[in-house]
Amino acid sequence: MYRMLGNRLRVVGTGLCALFLVCFLMSPGDGAQTVVTDQAGREVVIEGPVKRIVTIPIPAASMVLAIDGSSERLVGMNPLSKTAIEGEILSEFFPEALRIRSDIVQGEGFQPNVESLMSLAPDIVFQWGNFGDNLYIPLLDAGMKVALFKYGTQEYLEGWIETFGAILGKQEKAATILDWHRKTREQLTRRSEAIPDSEKPRTLYFLRFLANYQVAGKNTHNDVSIVLSGGKNVAAEEIDGFAAVNEEQILLWDPEVILLNGFERDLTPEHVYANERLRGVSAVKNRRVYKLPLGGYRWDPPNQETPLMWMWMSSVLHPGRDRFDLPGEMEKAYTLLYGKTLSRAQYEHILGMERNRGSAHYEALFGRAQ
Amino acid sequence: MTERHRAVPFSLLAGVLLALTVAVALFSLAIGRFPVPVERVARILLSALFSTEASWPPQETSVVLLIRLPRVLGSLLAGGGLALAGAALQGVFRNPLVGPQIIGVSSGAGFGGAVAILFFDGLFAVIPLAFVFGLLAMVAVWSLGSGEREESLLSLVLGGVVISAFFTALTSLGQYVADPYNKLPAIVMWLMGSFASSSWERLLFAAPVICCAGTLLHLIRFRINVLSLGQEEAESLGMNVRRNRWLVLACTTLITAATVALAGIVGWVGLVVPHMARMLVGSDHRKLLPVSALLGASYLILMDDIARGLTAAEIPIGILTALAGAPLFAFLLKKRQRKGGAWM
Repeated sequence: MYRMLGNRLRVVGTGLCALFLVCFLMSPGDGAQTVVTDQAGREVVIEGPVKRIVTIPIPAASMVLAIDGSSERLVGMNPLSKTAIEGEILSEFFPEALRIRSDIVQGEGFQPNVESLMSLAPDIVFQWGNFGDNLYIPLLDAGMKVALFKYGTQEYLEGWIETFGAILGKQEKAATILDWHRKTREQLTRRSEAIPDSEKPRTLYFLRFLANYQVAGKNTHNDVSIVLSGGKNVAAEEIDGFAAVNEEQILLWDPEVILLNGFERDLTPEHVYANERLRGVSAVKNRRVYKLPLGGYRWDPPNQETPLMWMWMSSVLHPGRDRFDLPGEMEKAYTLLYGKTLSRAQYEHILGMERNRGSAHYEALFGRAQ
Repeated sequence: MTERHRAVPFSLLAGVLLALTVAVALFSLAIGRFPVPVERVARILLSALFSTEASWPPQETSVVLLIRLPRVLGSLLAGGGLALAGAALQGVFRNPLVGPQIIGVSSGAGFGGAVAILFFDGLFAVIPLAFVFGLLAMVAVWSLGSGEREESLLSLVLGGVVISAFFTALTSLGQYVADPYNKLPAIVMWLMGSFASSSWERLLFAAPVICCAGTLLHLIRFRINVLSLGQEEAESLGMNVRRNRWLVLACTTLITAATVALAGIVGWVGLVVPHMARMLVGSDHRKLLPVSALLGASYLILMDDIARGLTAAEIPIGILTALAGAPLFAFLLKKRQRKGGAWM
């Protein structure tokens, strides 16, 4: 449904979308009722101003921080949201965010401890809506307000941003962010359509590399991003979703560019270059292995900074073509999202200048000369 | 032992099985996702031995020598080792239902491996920790099952269930607290079993352990025959039952720990393959042990061929061996019941 709407909206224009996806009502008189329709099609009504928010989907916490421009209203998050803040740029922008509770969920799952959650007295909890209803039914039974998110497409992501805008009373900012997302996407679509098929590099994204080789096939955000940035995802034909493959399969695909996830903390392109069994892969021979940046969130999954990731990816896929002025774009985006200016050191940390130093074109693309 | 088993001279049978194992291993070097012509595989192997000039793409050399060869050798050693360990355990415990998995050694070793991943980087900690916890599990099962002087079959199997469940729970706890991005994927892969990360380095860790412990078991195969008579009979023959049992147990645990370090938990091989071997040569451990090892080696190499070659995505080998092993075991069980015969 969102995809259909999204297509239509792109034709009609962006102005009316909030009316379709999220309906935000100020009831006359008290001025304090918030109504949103979540991505499961449920209507969520919150009385009074929203002061306490808990987010369980991992990228959601940094989106709340960005759209609210503050960490005051976020009172609980997934511990894996926090590991993307600790030691990263958001901990410098919002140092208090490190004190936000993150012990409501443990491990890789999304099942919160209901009583711990209740003790945070949230006005609203954001939870996944497409990983089974046992993730949110207990929260509803406990009397909490829950808004459900879905995962996978850019349209869903845009829905998140609108919902946060509505809940936080920052509709204008949300609309500006969405406008930026859509414009960048249109720009990249035109750009990649103009690139002849033969010049689109064979590209492979690794969701995991150290323990086993998990790659992204079709129906993933990473596949969409590779295509949008003017590449060919070599795994798209045979893999649906994410799957583990072996080295022979990687040699067979022979990617020209390899993209490494931002999840495995210690993973760097050197791990790929040092693997003698992958020596024959074009991306290794030409040293075109890149670790994805980590800004306000890991750039791999959909998040508020996704347009920057597309610009970054289109630069590493096509270093010889006209490209975006990433430092300039990042400066604009960080002012819009967080109201902050990036120092040179922060910029270099986000882009992983040090980790990617041994890879072709990286310094020329994003280094000081820029 | 029946007449049928004597019909074929053992040396001939062993020779055929050995040739079969070598053939399966060579054949497997020509199988995989990356197409390399068979004659090219042969030339690559020869060039590695005699360092001749390579006239083929370097990718093909690394596919054959760096990816397939350690993997085939790894599954050969693990399959042979696990089947050998299973056959020895079944003899010592005088129990056909015993295998490294049933008596908790696999779960214990798997937990040891998980602990090693959680707290250490690299491979060095995996074998010792897998060994220590595997041994611990086996001792616990042993002490649970040896209330009476003769270990009873039922209490042994039940003890195995209990200890396995306990170590499985500990491993789950490890998974629960593991860092989901940096530690958990390795543990999960461990538990499903896979030879995908085989390398010469990994092989160098595990191969000496499997070879030494396996050779030792092979050398004392006659003593396993005596042990399989039961405690009293063995003692009346003048054997130090306690010491020899422990020797066998230590060897099998070492083998299991080393295969865990090589490929994680690969179940069912040690349980099922000795039964197939027993159908060929009967229950004389002097013949049963080598035949089990050879059959196990071929079996696991073929299973791994499917795991790495069937689809673009890797299939965890633990899933395949369980899918093949459980029905096979059920079939053997039924067959024995129909015959009304004993297992051994």
